[in-house]
Amino acid sequence: MIGLEKVSKRYPNGHDALKDITLEIETGEMVFLTGHSGAGKSTLIKLIAAIERPTSGTIYVNNHQLGKMRRAAIPYLRRNMGLVFQDHKLLFDRSVMQNVLLPLEIAGFTHHDAHARARAALDKVGLLAREKAYPIALSGGEQQRLCIARAVVSRPALLLADEPTGNLDNEYATDIMLMFKAFHQAGTTIVISTHDQAAIKSGAGRIVHLDHGKIIS
Amino acid sequence: MKTWLTHHLQALRATLTQMLATPFSSLFTLFAIGITLSLPAGMAVMLDNATQVASNLPNPNEISIYMDDNATPADIKKLQTTLSTRTDIAHTQFVDKQTALTQISQQLGLTRLVNELPKNPLPDAWIITPADTDAQHITQLVSTLQKFPHVALVQADYKWSQRLDAILQLGHDLFTLLAGILAVALAAITSNTIRLQISTRHAEIEVSRLIGATDRYIRRPFLYFGALQGLLGGMIAWGVVFVSTQLLTPQVQHLATLYATTFSIQPLSLMQSAALLLISTALGWIGAYFAVSRSLARIEKR
Repeated sequence: MIGLEKVSKRYPNGHDALKDITLEIETGEMVFLTGHSGAGKSTLIKLIAAIERPTSGTIYVNNHQLGKMRRAAIPYLRRNMGLVFQDHKLLFDRSVMQNVLLPLEIAGFTHHDAHARARAALDKVGLLAREKAYPIALSGGEQQRLCIARAVVSRPALLLADEPTGNLDNEYATDIMLMFKAFHQAGTTIVISTHDQAAIKSGAGRIVHLDHGKIIS
Repeated sequence: MKTWLTHHLQALRATLTQMLATPFSSLFTLFAIGITLSLPAGMAVMLDNATQVASNLPNPNEISIYMDDNATPADIKKLQTTLSTRTDIAHTQFVDKQTALTQISQQLGLTRLVNELPKNPLPDAWIITPADTDAQHITQLVSTLQKFPHVALVQADYKWSQRLDAILQLGHDLFTLLAGILAVALAAITSNTIRLQISTRHAEIEVSRLIGATDRYIRRPFLYFGALQGLLGGMIAWGVVFVSTQLLTPQVQHLATLYATTFSIQPLSLMQSAALLLISTALGWIGAYFAVSRSLARIEKR
């Protein structure tokens, strides 16, 4: 599903975020990226999502080599992956429902199909009752669940989550992790960067530990 | 196909929502565009009408030949033969002095005065149309005609007509210049409103990109906005020109009566109206396209 070969990323300020990373993630796997803050977890996720480009090395996603893809082809790649951000990146001038509809509108679903799918996704994360609310009225945990609903609504084969529980209480965090497990069981490949020890120790997935831009284990 | 239609309907709906969300600023922008466009459109109407008036004037290339008083019918006949055999004259018409007097008295309503004249003061005359109408040929012809026996005066109006043509041509050039400058202004106005919109919808663009929106998808609502804004602005311009011509009509008709003619201002023709709306829509679209492309490139860099 995902392959990285000798991937390095140096930011323009000279900081080496990733050094010589080689990593293989199989279809259907669940992988936890762990490590201290600044170890390169977020950078790795951004590289896989083609939000940033590596300084050197090659990255494959879904058998496509990202470096060789045309810029215009990247949106279609992203439609096959769900992205969950620590800061949610919700649109605050749109209702919960409209936020979840956005990826489907972009993919060109008709009104009717899109609404059916969006309801199903909101139901999965337990937000169906709040579909008419605006994100500002949601709690932190609910906002994160909304972000997850938006990520999974187009039923992507790959789900990338960058610190999804970073700002949440333990109780909410467990909730969210359970949701990811459910998606994993349904066959979605999942990559989560986290330092939530409970989730890591649950033994649900492979652990990739990063330290100063290198894979330790 | 269905996807394509869905996308376009979405974009159109988003555009209308956007415009209605800020009705006053939308309206002001539309009026700015409308008034900008009404200048060249109004000028086009003025030029068209002026051209119309010019073409209704008597043929300016005609040359009048007036005979002197001593010319006998035999002299006239001789000149007739000479004139009709010349290849540089396309058409000749003889107006004898009696006919001329009758015409004038009828046209001016001076029958009584004319009847009291002891003697017809008008000469016999010819009205001829030269084969070549350029200035050089006419000058040459005039000087030749001048030398024929019993010819008192040869009068050609070509100078006046050429001046009129030159003025009209200058008007057309001014119109083109003005239209060009204002077209750029219109694209700039649109570009600016679109840029403002993009800055308020920055988050939306960024998120859309992250979840798989193509550049085309992101651009579409803004292009719709620009085009629709241009179209509505064009309609306002049309309205401004229409109302102006209506307001001027009574005065113009009054003026025409004083000149003993009838004349009414022609508003924009169907073709011109269509062209106005088409061009304003296109300019709005172009302005939007530039603004979006620039902004997208800037967002990309971050």
